[in-house]
This record gives sequence, C-alpha cells and structure tokens, in this order.
Amino acid sequence: MTDLAFEPEPESSSPQLPGDIAVWIFIFAELAVFGIMFIGFSVARSMDPATFHAGREALHPLIGLLNTVALITASYLVATAVHQLRHRRSGVQWRLWLAVAISCIYTVGKLYEYVNLYSQGYNLGTDTFFMFYFFLTFFHFMHVILGQVILIVLAVKVGNGDYDGSDMNGMESGASYWHMVDLVWLVLFPMIYVLA
Amino acid sequence: MLTVYFALMICTALPVIALKPGIGPEFLAWLVFGLVIVKALLLVDHFMEMKNAPRGWRLAAQLWTPAVIIAVAGFHIIT
Repeated sequence: MTDLAFEPEPESSSPQLPGDIAVWIFIFAELAVFGIMFIGFSVARSMDPATFHAGREALHPLIGLLNTVALITASYLVATAVHQLRHRRSGVQWRLWLAVAISCIYTVGKLYEYVNLYSQGYNLGTDTFFMFYFFLTFFHFMHVILGQVILIVLAVKVGNGDYDGSDMNGMESGASYWHMVDLVWLVLFPMIYVLA
Repeated sequence: MLTVYFALMICTALPVIALKPGIGPEFLAWLVFGLVIVKALLLVDHFMEMKNAPRGWRLAAQLWTPAVIIAVAGFHIIT
C-alpha cells in the first residue's frame, strides 16, 4: 500500500487556474463592484475633501492597521494550508482554524468601531464620508463573514478526511475567495484611514 | 511564502512609520498608492497562486489593483 505522505504531488508545469472557474468569475464580478465603489468614493472625496478629512479624524487608524495585520496573517495561514494539502502534509486543519480565529480580530475590531462611532452619533446619514464609510466597510464586512464560513467548512471537511490532496478544487476555490476579501481590504484600508 | 508575508507586513507598516516624522501628506499619498500596488501583486501572485494561472487570468487579477489605484490617484490629483 502506498503511503501518500511520502509521495508529494509534483507542481503542475502547465498554467492552471487555482480553483473552480465559476468561483473566479464570481471573484472578478465582486472585484468589479468594489472597484466601482472605490471610484465613487474618490469622486465624492474630490468634490468635498474637507468633509472626508474631518470624517477620517473620527476613525481609529490603529484598529484599521490591526485589521490589516489580522487579514494578511489569516491569508498567509490559508495559503500555507493549501500548500500543505497539495503536498499531502499534516497541519492543514489547524492552519484553517487559526486563520478563522485571527480573522475574528477583524470582525471584533470592526464591530467595536461601528458601536463606538454609532454611540458618538455617526451613522449613514451623517455626511457623504460616513455614508461611504459605513456602506463600503459593512459590504466588505459581510464578505469577511462569508469568507469565515467558507474557511470553517473547509476546516471541517479536512477534519472529516474529505480532502486528501488528490482534488484541490474545493480548497483552492475557498482559499481564492478568502484572498479576494484580503485584496479588497488592502485597497479599502488606505483609502479610508490614510487618504481620506 | 514566509518572505512574502513579511514583505506584506513591512509594506503595511511603512505608511504608519512615515506618519511619525511628519512626512508631507502628498508624499504619503503617493507612497501609499505605490505600496498598495506592490502588496496586491504579492498577494495575487503568491497567496492566490495566480503566478501559475493562464496568462489572461493572471493579468486580469494583477491589473485590478493598479486600475483602481490609477483612478483613485487621478481624482486625488484633481483634489
């Protein structure tokens, strides 16, 4: 009987899309929507820079920075989990659970920020900046929640032995979605917390 | 992979460090634009593994961030 642990699958030399093509069409559709929103934010900012500057002053850049570190770390763990599974090594499941746990820093930080701002009287109707802030960040927040659910499903499936490294489609698709969420935040964070 | 992770962390920390010595907001803005593109390219190629994807898909994924940043920077110049 062959021990799979000692037979790492060689990397494919021919170009191959990581994950399912349908997921990638979905990812590009999401990126297009976020891109349009970011351009909308920039147009609004160029029309009223004073409001956007004042709005940024009410935010906590440290929380934004912490969220960025959390999402990048979670992405790193997901990427290494995919790598481990492809080479049929151990440590896939704990990496996915740790990614979920670290990404919770983002969700808790964002919720804290929302509660804090709301208690200070800021909401969607305060001004153009906060309309964009709440709309953009909450839209992204919902994507993070969906990404966390996907990571939990992947971790459970790995635990059940559903993924053994022979078919990477499900794992790569879930991981690609998670990285898309991270990619969007990489643009969203400086736009709102630094440039606004 | 760990090198990419540390590179992403350094790129994240740089604008925050640059804020401390009181660097001008204009320089900071262009620093942020550049770093966002670098971070996005690293993420797309290494974490998303698009470096092994067909050329068209890879290019589309890589170009999203520069396209958005160019648009944002354009309106930043107008402002």
